[in-house]
Amino acid sequence: MRQLTFSIFRFNPNIPGDKPRMQEYKLEEQDGMSMFVALTKIREELDPTLMFDFVCRAAICGSCAMLINGRPRLACKTLAKNMPSRITMMPLPVFKLIGDLCVDTGTWFKDLQIKTEAWVHTNKKFDPKALEEKMDNEVAEKIYEPDRCVECGCCVAACITANIRDDFIGATGINRVARFMLDPRDERSDADYFDVVGNEEGTFGCVGLMGCDDLCPMEIPLQENLAYVRRKMAAAGLKLQFQGVKVS
Amino acid sequence: MELAKNLQTTINKSHGKTDLYVDLAQSISGILLVGFLWMHMLFVSTVVINPALFDTLSIGLDKYYLAQFGIPGTVLLIIVHIFLAGRRAPLRLRDLRIAWRLTRMMNHYDTWVWAGQVITALMIGIMASMHLWTIMTSWPLRAATSAARVASVGPADHSFGGFEFPFFIVFYVIFLIVGEYHAGFGLYRIFVKWGWFERHKMGWLLKGITVIIIALGFTALYTFTQIAANLPAGGAIH
Repeated sequence: MRQLTFSIFRFNPNIPGDKPRMQEYKLEEQDGMSMFVALTKIREELDPTLMFDFVCRAAICGSCAMLINGRPRLACKTLAKNMPSRITMMPLPVFKLIGDLCVDTGTWFKDLQIKTEAWVHTNKKFDPKALEEKMDNEVAEKIYEPDRCVECGCCVAACITANIRDDFIGATGINRVARFMLDPRDERSDADYFDVVGNEEGTFGCVGLMGCDDLCPMEIPLQENLAYVRRKMAAAGLKLQFQGVKVS
Repeated sequence: MELAKNLQTTINKSHGKTDLYVDLAQSISGILLVGFLWMHMLFVSTVVINPALFDTLSIGLDKYYLAQFGIPGTVLLIIVHIFLAGRRAPLRLRDLRIAWRLTRMMNHYDTWVWAGQVITALMIGIMASMHLWTIMTSWPLRAATSAARVASVGPADHSFGGFEFPFFIVFYVIFLIVGEYHAGFGLYRIFVKWGWFERHKMGWLLKGITVIIIALGFTALYTFTQIAANLPAGGAIH
């Protein structure tokens, strides 16, 4: 088995005087070793001060996203056998650094959910005793596709626009809106959606660099979903114009 | 997003419809310019078939005022396109630094291609102006005059120590590659954003078209040098 060299970003902004630096660790590669396993081994055997996030170890929670050899990836889904023997690890850009490889994606995503109003808007009164309404399987599957997003933040980190502009909602944000557009339970009108995402901060801010589409760990078809929202919002905007409806 | 949340933006809020129109206009101006460039290269390539055909076409464009209106129109379109697409370029030093570092670090193909688009855009801005100036000052366009221009060597004034360099052929080879790169990938990006076609297949198709047009351009340039060689006194115009 190979000897792996890990060059890991170290910096704790909470320690006064601490400076960003790269620190090296050496490990023997193991069968089926993921980056998450390697990091755990480093923390247990070499350096208990190393900070990194994880919860599920199975690409469900999206906590362990980081830059591995420069690319945003999930540490639990990245296998050592697919990597060269020298591996660099850095925290995701854009998000607030907590320390070492830990970033706070939660606050960013909370802001996003509020900004995009990421919940089903309906005037129907919920009756807890009534039988749940059936949804067409085809529709459910369509909604499920963008809904697979684990909010790891890889698409945001991989996007030059999101890195440069702090008001851009990124692929995950536009994808989120696509999910509600597909959902027949959401009663929002085109004008409502246009208000939320039909602007430079949303769908018209995308430059089309496709870092999101190529690097999404969940392999969500982001290009299709982003283009879907763009086309829908362009059509909605033009329609509203001809109808003389004022939008924002 | 932290900062954006705290900014008071009620009075200078981004207007959705303006954003939509600007985005649409950017795509449309891009598509029109790609159309112009590809047609331009097809027209120039007629010289490969027959220089007389090239002349007939040029005379026709003048006769029906297509050149007289087409050239200013295209210049206007280019200026509009610079403003519309230029919004996307990282112009602040801070943005440039982030974009460059991230592009190198991620080493992601499409992001590299985009960096190339920004660089080629700058080059086109300069080279298209030069190209326009030279053709306008030697109007009308004929196969013979174009050939003489392409094959000319400089500097004209030999008091500079007599060194000679084929500026124009080098200029046109670079301009051709840079222009077609920007057009091909620009169209790719428009299609990617609007999602009309499958991304990878469409990418290969556009790369194919770009390579064909560059090859056509090279053939035309070669034809021009051959025509120039048969002109009296090497067809030198300075």
